[in-house]
Order: sequence, then C-alpha cells, then structure tokens
Amino acid sequence: MSLVIFVLLRLAPGNMVDILFSTGGYVSESDKAAIEKELGIDRPIWVQYVDWLRDMATGKLGKSYRYDLPAWELIKPLIPVTVELAVLSTIIAILLGVPTGVISAVRQDTSLDYVLRVFSLAGLSMPSFWLGMVIILALVAWIGWIPPITYVSPAENFKIHLVQFLLPALAVGYRSSALITRITRSALLEVMREDYIRTAWAKGQSGRIVIWRHALKNAMLPVITVIGIEFAFLIGGLVVTETVFNLPGVARFLVQAILWRDYPIVQNIVMFIAIVVVLSNLLVDLLYGWFDPRVRYG
Amino acid sequence: MSRFPRLALVLGLAGLSAVTGLTATPAVGQAPKSGGVLNIMQREDPPQGFSIHETATISTVWPGMPCFNNLVLFDPLKKTESMDTIIGELAEKWSWQDNYRNLVFFLRKDVKWHDGKPFTSKDVKYTFDMVREAPDAQVKLRINPRKDWYANVEKIEAADPYTVVFHLKRPQSSLLMMLASGYSPVYPAHVPPAELRTTCVGTGPFKLKEWKRGEYIDFVKNPDYFVKGRPYLDGLRYIPIQERGTKFAALQSGRLDVAFPGDASKTIADQVTKAEPRIKLTIAHQNVNDNLLLNVTKPPFNNVKVRQAISMAIDRRAAVQAVHQGGAVVGASLAPRPYGVWGLLEKDLAGLPGYGKSADEKARARKLLIEAGFGPANPLKVEMATRNIPIYIDLASFVISELRQVGVEATLKQIETAQWHPLATRKEYQAGPNLTGIGPDDPDANFYENYACGSPRNYTGYCDEQVMKMIDQQSQELDPKKRVQMVWNVQKKLEEDAARPMIDWRLEHYLQWQYVKNLIPHQSIYNYGRMQEVWLDK
Repeated sequence: MSLVIFVLLRLAPGNMVDILFSTGGYVSESDKAAIEKELGIDRPIWVQYVDWLRDMATGKLGKSYRYDLPAWELIKPLIPVTVELAVLSTIIAILLGVPTGVISAVRQDTSLDYVLRVFSLAGLSMPSFWLGMVIILALVAWIGWIPPITYVSPAENFKIHLVQFLLPALAVGYRSSALITRITRSALLEVMREDYIRTAWAKGQSGRIVIWRHALKNAMLPVITVIGIEFAFLIGGLVVTETVFNLPGVARFLVQAILWRDYPIVQNIVMFIAIVVVLSNLLVDLLYGWFDPRVRYG
Repeated sequence: MSRFPRLALVLGLAGLSAVTGLTATPAVGQAPKSGGVLNIMQREDPPQGFSIHETATISTVWPGMPCFNNLVLFDPLKKTESMDTIIGELAEKWSWQDNYRNLVFFLRKDVKWHDGKPFTSKDVKYTFDMVREAPDAQVKLRINPRKDWYANVEKIEAADPYTVVFHLKRPQSSLLMMLASGYSPVYPAHVPPAELRTTCVGTGPFKLKEWKRGEYIDFVKNPDYFVKGRPYLDGLRYIPIQERGTKFAALQSGRLDVAFPGDASKTIADQVTKAEPRIKLTIAHQNVNDNLLLNVTKPPFNNVKVRQAISMAIDRRAAVQAVHQGGAVVGASLAPRPYGVWGLLEKDLAGLPGYGKSADEKARARKLLIEAGFGPANPLKVEMATRNIPIYIDLASFVISELRQVGVEATLKQIETAQWHPLATRKEYQAGPNLTGIGPDDPDANFYENYACGSPRNYTGYCDEQVMKMIDQQSQELDPKKRVQMVWNVQKKLEEDAARPMIDWRLEHYLQWQYVKNLIPHQSIYNYGRMQEVWLDK
C-alpha cells in the first residue's frame, strides 16, 4: 500500500517546486535544482521511499513542502472535522434510509412505496455537493443567511457548531440514505418471504415485532455492509462538500495537497484513509456477529 | 560625513515630492470611526506565505500588504495611480538627483518592526539588494520574479541610518512607480526571508495574530504604528474560500464584508448587487490582460506574417462580450485609457493588426496565411496549450473558434498548472492564451518583464534589438509628453510584430458592503490592500 501511494504520487508530472515557481510566473532551472535539493526530492525514488518508511516507523511524519510545518501538526486538527461530518452523515443516512426502506418494503407497490422510491432515486441522482450548493444559495436567497464559513468548535459554541455541520451532513446523508433505503427495501423483501416470517404472522405476532425484531435483524447484513462502505468512502469523498461548506477537513486538504504535490501531506492522509477503511471493515465484520449469531469468529 | 546632508537637498529636475507620512484624508463627509474587524474574502491560502517578493500573485499580496510598508505607495484614497499620486510611507521625503540617476530617500525615524526592533536604512538596502540579486546581497530569494525591475540599479547606499540612495546606471523615473507597487514592501534585515513564508514581521498597520492554514488569517491593529490614529480597524480576518458560489453567498449574507480583487465577473457582480442592494459595486480596472502567447522561436510563429494573421483573426470586441460579458476593454500592451495613463488612443488602436473591423481583419488574415504558404489544401494546424483553469479555458475556446473562421485548425490542450510554467519557460508549446497581471501601470514594469530579451517571463521568446532600444529609450526619457509618444510607438511596434497579441484588459467589479469606507479599488488590483485608511460605518 505504502509503495503504491509513494510511486503513484511521483508518477504525476511536475513537483512541488514547479508549483512554487508557478506562483512566481516563471521557472529557473538552476534555482529549481537548488530547491529540489533543499527539499530532498532530487534523490532517487527508492532512497526517498526508504527514508520515508524509516521516518514512519519512528513516528516522524515529515514536513509539509508548502507550509514548511510538521505534517502531523497540519493534519491533526482536520481529522475530527471530517470524521464528525462522516459520522453525522452516516447517522442521518441510517435514520432516514432504514425506516424509509422498511416502510417501502412493508407497503410494497403502494403509492407510498412509489413516492419513497422516487425520493430515494432523487437522492442517488443528486450529487451531494450540488445539493449542498443549492442549500447555501437557497438560504442566502430566502433568508439572507448561511452557516458560519470558519470552523466553530463544539467548545466555542455547540449550537452554532451543530448548525454548521447539520446542513452538510443532511446533504451528504440524504445521498447515502438513498442507497441504504434501496438495499434495506430489497433485503427486507427477501427476508419477508422466508418461512419463519410467515410462521410469525401465522402465530399472530404484531406487525411491529415481525418486521423490526425478526425480519429487519436478518435483513441487516447487506445494509451494514453498505453502511460500512459508505462511511469509508466518505472520509475521502467529502472533499467537495467540505469545499462547498468551507469546512477545514482532511478530504479537502488532501486534494489541495495533491494539486500542490505536497508529498508528505498526501502520503500521510492517504495512509490515514487506508486505516479508516480497514477499521470500518473490521467494525462491519464484528457487527455481523452481533446481528447474526450464526456468524462466529475464532 | 554623509554625502547627502539633509539640509543640502538638490532638487531633481522633476521636482521634489515632500510628503510627510500619509496626508490623504478620508472620503468626503463623515468622520471615521475606530473599531471593528473587517472580514475579507481570500482566494486561497497565500502561496509562499507573506513573502510578497517571492510571488507574482494577488493571493499573497492581498493578505500580505497590511503587514508591511513600502518606501512609497500609491495613495490608497485615489483610484488612479500615477507619479502624482505617490505618497511616502517609510520615506518621509525623496529627491531625484543627478538627472534622475540617483534617488535619495529620507526615512522616517519613528518606525519599529512588529518585534520592536527599529527600522533603518539597512533594511531598505538589504531588501532591494536581495531582490536585484546584488553581488554583495546578504541573502538570496528562493523565487525572484521581479529581479528585472531593478536591473538598472547599480548600487544601493545606506548613507546613514535614515538615508538611503539608489544609484542608477542611467535615468529611470519609473523606479519610483515600481517602488510604490504592492509588490515592493521593505523586509526586515534581521529576519530571514524564509521565515516570512510562515509568519509576518513588518512595519505595517496590522500585526499578524494567527494564520490557521486553510481557515483564516487574523491580523490585529499595530498599536505602535508610526501614523498616529491609524489604522482605524481593530483587526482583519482573511477567509480563504475556494468555491465561487460559497464565497459570494458569504458576501451577500454579510459573513464577509469585502470581496477578493479580480474575483467577481460582471455577471456575478450584477447578480449580487441585485439580490443585496446594500452591497456596493465599484467598476475599476485590474491591470490584468488576456493575451495570446505565440512561440516565436519555432515554426510557424517565427514567421511574422503568420503571427499577424493569428492576431488579425481574433475579434477583440467579440471577446469582450463573449468571454467577459462586457466586463473588459480592448487595448494594446499597456492599459487603455481611462484606466491607464499610457494606453494608445482609439484612433491609433484601430489601425493596428487585429483591431479594425472583424470581417476586414479576417479577410486580411486569410490573405496573409496564403502568402505564408497556408490555405485550404494545407491548413495551418495549431495546438493551443493553456492552463486547465476555467478562465483560461474560456479564453482558449473563444480564440480557437476565431481561428477556425480563417481556416486555422486549432485544437485545445489543457495543461495542469504544475506543468504550465515549466512548459512556457522552456518554450515547449506552439501557442496559448494567457493572463498577465502587472503591478503598476508602468511601461518599464511591463516591458522589461514581458518583452525584454531573456526575461524569464518573456514566454514567447520575442527578442528584437530595435524594440529593446525603443524600450530603453523611453525608460530614460524624462519629458513626460515625449515619453508617452515613445511608449505609444513601442506598443504599436509590438502589435505590428504580433509579439504577444493583446486581446483585452479585464475590468474589476469590486464588491463591498456600503458600511465599509475608504477601501477604494485602484486601476491595478495589486496596490491598494494596505487597509490603513479603511473604517467601518456600523
């Protein structure tokens, strides 16, 4: 993984020094060579890779070429922003998607089912950044207000912080909920055709117990998988939402670092995202065991 | 004993400008109010931090200017920039001597750097020796885009702690214009330039409080500022916002008080002011032009007829409408009047290749191409390389459509920014639309940077001995009327040679809330960001 990240980055044409010179509107080859030497990017790639691995192993995450500050110092405050946005979006997606999917499945082929399916299809069709932009423009046009454009931490003002995150989370959560709705609906429909569900109905169990305790629990495995994938995707995929709402998150910073060829920043953030993906997959696997006792580990 | 005793001033031919501090008065009517924090739109985190001398972008100058001072500056309260609107900042007085060969500055004695150290002539010598890469310069800039501005400076003498002399190789009145630009701050000699990429130590009206990367840059009022009673504001906050819709929504909602220079197109400006009438629109000028780079070092553009044909094919007036929705003006290599003082008159412009009636020009273009050996059977094929940024692509698309009308088969190649300048500097392209911003409206700043033989920003490789001679001659001319005529002649020659065909000059549609006072957009976006005179009427 580390080798892939390292090599792919350096395959992109141009480097940080080219970007620096572009801010000056010219390039001087001799000065460029001097700066490359200063930054250490003139060395063979394998030498740079070995040095990077050694530094990572000793906890040194390098220095940003652009800002000349320790990479971790720049990345650390951004992580909670993206994680919080991803978590909030996922919660909203679940709160919106699962009940909607259940209702749609239980009321299959009724007008309510059609309405909910169109609602979820709209969510899948609308890019979340576009929806975010529409929300901002609608707010400013109708009430002359938009959420704060600089980050407000929960400690500073919890209410404003919540408002600041709720809107982008709604935009992203709606899109994610669309997928969850559809998966929940199809999984539930499949489970509800099972014999044990028919038996439960025959025994006179209430609809609430049949659906929520028996059917849904068994239908949740594919839903959990999708939730886990969506969450992992969000960590890197929130870049445009963070840009639209001007939130200082890791995803936005990653794209800026890529455009700036700021290798230490990109490498560290990509490794972070990889760790999040692995952890979220682990969590999903553990949740399987909780939802379905037949799944056992060890 | 100092060679330039204070009491024995020798007046220069053009007269002495003696201005003590900032004597500009606020706008007519109200008395300024102190207090408040101005929330300012910023396009991106400043590249190279606050090291203005190491960049050529408004993204660094705009947030960097409040931290520094120049020797002299264009009066922030006057929209038009010229020799007459230059006022002193760190220099109390200045004097041209020896027929404009020596420029003597008498410096203020009550100035301190933000870290408390005193400002002296040593700082001035240090700064400009560094920028001109003097042999005995103490430090070297990592990136130095304006070295050529000071090519005529032979030596800089710190005669005493409060007197500094620029000794020139030959007369050059434009030096003062370049020193008055936002691109010419004075750096502290005791702070390595590299440090200015991460923090700011200046003498300016505002001190850096905090730079939270990607979020905001906060400045606070400098309580020891040498101009008493200034600044009026308690602080400044620059907020970088990349997304265009978000930044103008933030302005409209009042989260921001003022826009970023050059960011609002005419369409956006009209929409915002219509939606929020309390936002004021000022139409000024950016001193940024759209032009066409033609690589004169290689075929086919080493042939002047082919270059002229390309220039004639472009309908500049249509470009103003199509690309800018009317938010630009046609002009040659210097900003046209009334926005600039050196621009060619309309009657002279009309006679230049590409500036006449579109149909006639295109017919002439086809004829020239045939004379150069290109025609329907052997069309000229051109690859238009340009940066993959919307404002460049819009321009490129327009140019391509114009060229196709004269039988040129033009295609678009989008280049990422990281590759664009190396490519342009190495002349590894055929043609490409380009934007060029120039600090002050001054012939020397423009010509030496963009047209001088060997200048790193002369991307086309155009090098003409006769033109260089004309540029040098106008630079030394002290009679303003004669000089204007000479500058006109240079512009005509450059357009006749299609050295770098000009397409248009962008207008500035500057937006700010009405309660923001004394932030007056100039005819160049690079020179009015000091914020010293700005106050809030709320």
